[in-house]
Amino acid sequence: MDNRFANIFGLTEEQSIALLDTPPEQATDESERYIAASQLANYPSEASINALIRAVNVTYDSLDNRITRRKSVESLGKLKAKQSLEVIRPCLSDTDRYTVEAAVWTIGEIGTENTEILEEITQLLLKPDQAYRVIIHTLVKLNYVAAVDRVRPFMDHEDEPTASAAIATVCRFAQDFSQIDRVVSFLQSDSVNARRACLEDLINARYYAAIPAIARCPISLMFRLRAIRSLADSGIAAGEVSINEVLPVIEQILLDHPNDLDLVHEYDQPPVLEFLIRELYHTDFGRTYLATQTLIEQQSEAVPTALFETYEAEAHNDYGAHYHVMKLMGWLKHQPAYDLLLEALTNTSPQFMKSRAAAALSLGYLGDQRAIAPLQTSAQSNIWMLQYTSLMALEKLGDYSQHKLLLEADDWAVRAKANQVLPGVTTNSTGLMNS
Amino acid sequence: MKSVVTTVIAAADAAGRFPSTSDLESVQGSLQRAAARMEAAEKLSGNLDNVAKEAYDACIAKYPYLNNAGEANSSETFKTKCMRDVKHYLRLISYSLVVGGTGPLDEWGIAGQREVYRALNLPTGPYVAALSFARNRGCAPRDMSAQALTEYNALVDYVINSLS
Repeated sequence: MDNRFANIFGLTEEQSIALLDTPPEQATDESERYIAASQLANYPSEASINALIRAVNVTYDSLDNRITRRKSVESLGKLKAKQSLEVIRPCLSDTDRYTVEAAVWTIGEIGTENTEILEEITQLLLKPDQAYRVIIHTLVKLNYVAAVDRVRPFMDHEDEPTASAAIATVCRFAQDFSQIDRVVSFLQSDSVNARRACLEDLINARYYAAIPAIARCPISLMFRLRAIRSLADSGIAAGEVSINEVLPVIEQILLDHPNDLDLVHEYDQPPVLEFLIRELYHTDFGRTYLATQTLIEQQSEAVPTALFETYEAEAHNDYGAHYHVMKLMGWLKHQPAYDLLLEALTNTSPQFMKSRAAAALSLGYLGDQRAIAPLQTSAQSNIWMLQYTSLMALEKLGDYSQHKLLLEADDWAVRAKANQVLPGVTTNSTGLMNS
Repeated sequence: MKSVVTTVIAAADAAGRFPSTSDLESVQGSLQRAAARMEAAEKLSGNLDNVAKEAYDACIAKYPYLNNAGEANSSETFKTKCMRDVKHYLRLISYSLVVGGTGPLDEWGIAGQREVYRALNLPTGPYVAALSFARNRGCAPRDMSAQALTEYNALVDYVINSLS
């Protein structure tokens, strides 16, 4: 579980409980109780669970109480609080669809084999305007095979992510892969949501043949890495995927060159530099990758200048554009960006984590030997993608000193990478499954 | 892009019928509120950076420890996360004001986001806090007319409800 943002509000358990227990009509600030409910997911104690259960039982009718109640249900799921199951179950018939969705998801997290509850969840598929995708995912998670025929009609749902979830579920439960190509085709959907959503379904279907297509899907590398690593976990365990197949894919994604992606957008006229820079801020990475590809192709001296300017003005504060600036400086081999990249490499703010990995690789592309020492340090961080990209960058700079220090790394991919280059040492898929 | 108009026409077309009286009433209702929505959209677009910054500043005033040096809870972390996401949602709110429906928010802001936040364990607290401040900071007639503020607040509430 990624806990980078766990303590963003810095509330203690006691403070959070006190805020959550404040009657909604007396709360001085409407969002306080909501924040307290989300914060308590980080405190796995009886006191915290009991406070969340009390909050679920507060049915005061207001927007702020509704979102607090919903968040409390979700936090109980994150805490996998079995004792809350009977309090959450009535939420399945709540009139607020998001509360129903949270209850379904939370039951999936807690886990149950109670067929009455599983049927109750399945019956929600017959109710209008529900979060069908979450319901279907939860049925998969709880391995409720008896639901397969009620999931089947959703294979043709007009909402692509819902259809995608249904197809993957039928694949998994009925071992019927006849329509899996439709799920794979969503990797090239115009909609960024459909592109992201189908990854989850390919993971659920355990469809290992999709690994190369996932790597080329134009969405943020974080989504692609998560999917590939999940598929690798189950695929290696099942003996259907080998580490040697997966490692080059992971490297391709970490490198994240737009030419290695199947882009879904195109320009109807040659874009000007100012427009391309603006595109780096877009939340659809399909569009940002098209912009980075075009900026690389232009090979214009104006590009690095524009990147420095946008970094100063906004990108230093925007975790999306920040990443692309770091990548582009490497692809353009722009030597004056050395200090900027070094700063990004050591930026520990959690939202800039992927920029650190990008900076490591770009420092490798710059070829400046001064980067070896800081990259050696980052190779010893506890973030797998930073370790991995640091090793890749150090290889570019001719330094293999860190590989032998990471032969027993905690992360299986880093461990395999470290082992890969040393003569006489071979990777062992059995050993890799220990992480 | 879904709006009141496209929803009504799509429903009528699906049934192969002319728009009904209630269809026309709902379109008319939307058109009557159009001036207020355009006013809200114009004020919001012209003031986007200030609205986002005010929301952030108000959060800092409320949670001063966010200014403490540190990593995940440093003000810079909060600020960048808060600013980027709040600006994104305010932009979609301005589109929705123009459309006269929640289509832009639904299609570009909400669909799939709940799943992403859950799957990657990303915090929703910062923008719920900031958007609550953005809603409460709006003042008529200082910022816009009362009618325009009603339209704006309804969409801010819609985002808070849908993404929380």
